[in-house]
Amino acid sequence: MLEAFIFATILCGFFGIILKQNLMMKIIAMDVMSTGVIAYYVKISARQGLFTPIFSKTNHGAYADPVPQAVILTAIVIGFSIQALMLVGVMKLSRDNPTLESREIEKTYTP
Amino acid sequence: MNTLTIIWIALPFFVGFVGYLVPKVDRYLALAMTLVSASYAARVLMESTPLIVELMDNFGVTLQIDSLSGYFILTNALVTAAVICYCWGTGKSAFFYTQTIILHGSVNAVFICADFISLYVALEVIGIAAFLLVSYPRTNRAIWVALRYLFISNTAMLFYLVGAVLVYQANNSFAFTGLAKAPPEALALIFLGLLTKGGIFVSGLWLPLTHSESETPVSAILSGVVVKTGVFPLARMALMVEEVAPVITLLGIGTAFLGISLALFEQDTKRLLAQSTISQLGFILAAPAVGGFYALTHGLVKATLFLTAGALPSRDFQELHKQPIPRSLWLVLVMASCSISGIPLWAGFASKALTLKSLLPWQMLALNIATVGTVATFAKFIFLPHQSDSQSIRPGYWVAVLLLLGGLLAANGAYYQAYTVANIGKALAKVAIGWLVYWLVIRRVVLKLPRVQEQLEHLIGGMSLMLVLLFWMVLA
Repeated sequence: MLEAFIFATILCGFFGIILKQNLMMKIIAMDVMSTGVIAYYVKISARQGLFTPIFSKTNHGAYADPVPQAVILTAIVIGFSIQALMLVGVMKLSRDNPTLESREIEKTYTP
Repeated sequence: MNTLTIIWIALPFFVGFVGYLVPKVDRYLALAMTLVSASYAARVLMESTPLIVELMDNFGVTLQIDSLSGYFILTNALVTAAVICYCWGTGKSAFFYTQTIILHGSVNAVFICADFISLYVALEVIGIAAFLLVSYPRTNRAIWVALRYLFISNTAMLFYLVGAVLVYQANNSFAFTGLAKAPPEALALIFLGLLTKGGIFVSGLWLPLTHSESETPVSAILSGVVVKTGVFPLARMALMVEEVAPVITLLGIGTAFLGISLALFEQDTKRLLAQSTISQLGFILAAPAVGGFYALTHGLVKATLFLTAGALPSRDFQELHKQPIPRSLWLVLVMASCSISGIPLWAGFASKALTLKSLLPWQMLALNIATVGTVATFAKFIFLPHQSDSQSIRPGYWVAVLLLLGGLLAANGAYYQAYTVANIGKALAKVAIGWLVYWLVIRRVVLKLPRVQEQLEHLIGGMSLMLVLLFWMVLA
């Protein structure tokens, strides 16, 4: 069930990138897609248990798998820096193309 | 050797930032870094056993350095060095050299990793550094081309991440070897990411625009080494996991044909070079075991050709036929085209012979046809009209070209056994057929291929189609 929602998020983001005309919306759609991917990592790490894996004397039972979480932390940081970079690019483009319509921009700047 | 590897892989990032803080020494530091990489590659190539470095417990985060990596690292070092020499007197800012050397470092990181997570991080750093290099001129067009590149590569990498976690779920490890036990959808997703990043088959249609609209040195570095970061992991997976090898060979042959059929009818020099890059990547993938040597020769040739194409008076072949080009540039073009066409004396001949030797008969036939196509394509450069030089060309260009062409001659030594009468005869026959095709057909036909498939939305939509195709290929 949860998995279905996660894949729906990823697909929503993917179709958003294709169907949205505005460059800004495309970037937001990409963010939605990466949110879906991150959620999938969290889902997979929680398949054996839900307890936060913190070292202590008492055993709480089924711990969540820390490895995918550690990995996705890196991916989140990378993802957000790429978003920031893209937004800067879009800001620069918006000076001459205030509507940020991707088809118009593509037509103007493709030889 | 372990410590040496760790220092070598961290050094470019350190050097890059130091160069940015002390702009006076940026070029010297960058050039020194490429020398370090080149000597490291030489060391790797001399060692017979592969070096494996486990970085963490048992989650499969490993580095693996073998002769395949050695060739790719050497390519990277030579091409980056040539590009830095080319830029020497052009007044590029410290920012440019910083990005170049960070790109160099992250490309090196791809060439030694053997697990999905280090690969992911390295590929994303490459994406960012390449974005900054492409958008360096700060014009609207450059920003748009760079933004498009980042859009495509980031979307592809998101698919890749999903594939990576599926591999982890099946094996509790991120190592490449886990691919054998992973479900088919994981394979399809990971391949999609790498194919798009590497510009292979239909996923590589973003490549001609990006490589042709970048500045000359940037397109040389993109076409020479950066696309190989998608190819290298695929080649390594094909060697490590037997089940995926046929799929990769098939993709390689498809790519060789796709690229060359686009390039044959192209009228723009830089676009032609970019499309031929797609086709040459197919040759690397067709025989992954010997792909390292092919990657080296292709990287050197393509960087030479891009640097030279940037110095020509026009990018349009029709214009170039009316207006003779300087003879010295023409000579460089001829030498590079000879190598990529597989004419003996140049290392392109040896690498083609080596690749063809390790294939099945029907694959060999397919690649021979693609080679004839390559010869016909590069005949466009060889038969350009030329005259004696009127204006002088910057010395930086000559240093870069001498380095690259010297590398091409020296690389012959890696497989001098290729020089047999039979091999030479076959190569010359292919060249003759190719030139004949050029004079009879290509020269007379002006065909304008549509460019609809290169629009951003179609490229991203194409990913979903490619995903379905890959899924069926893996299942079959």
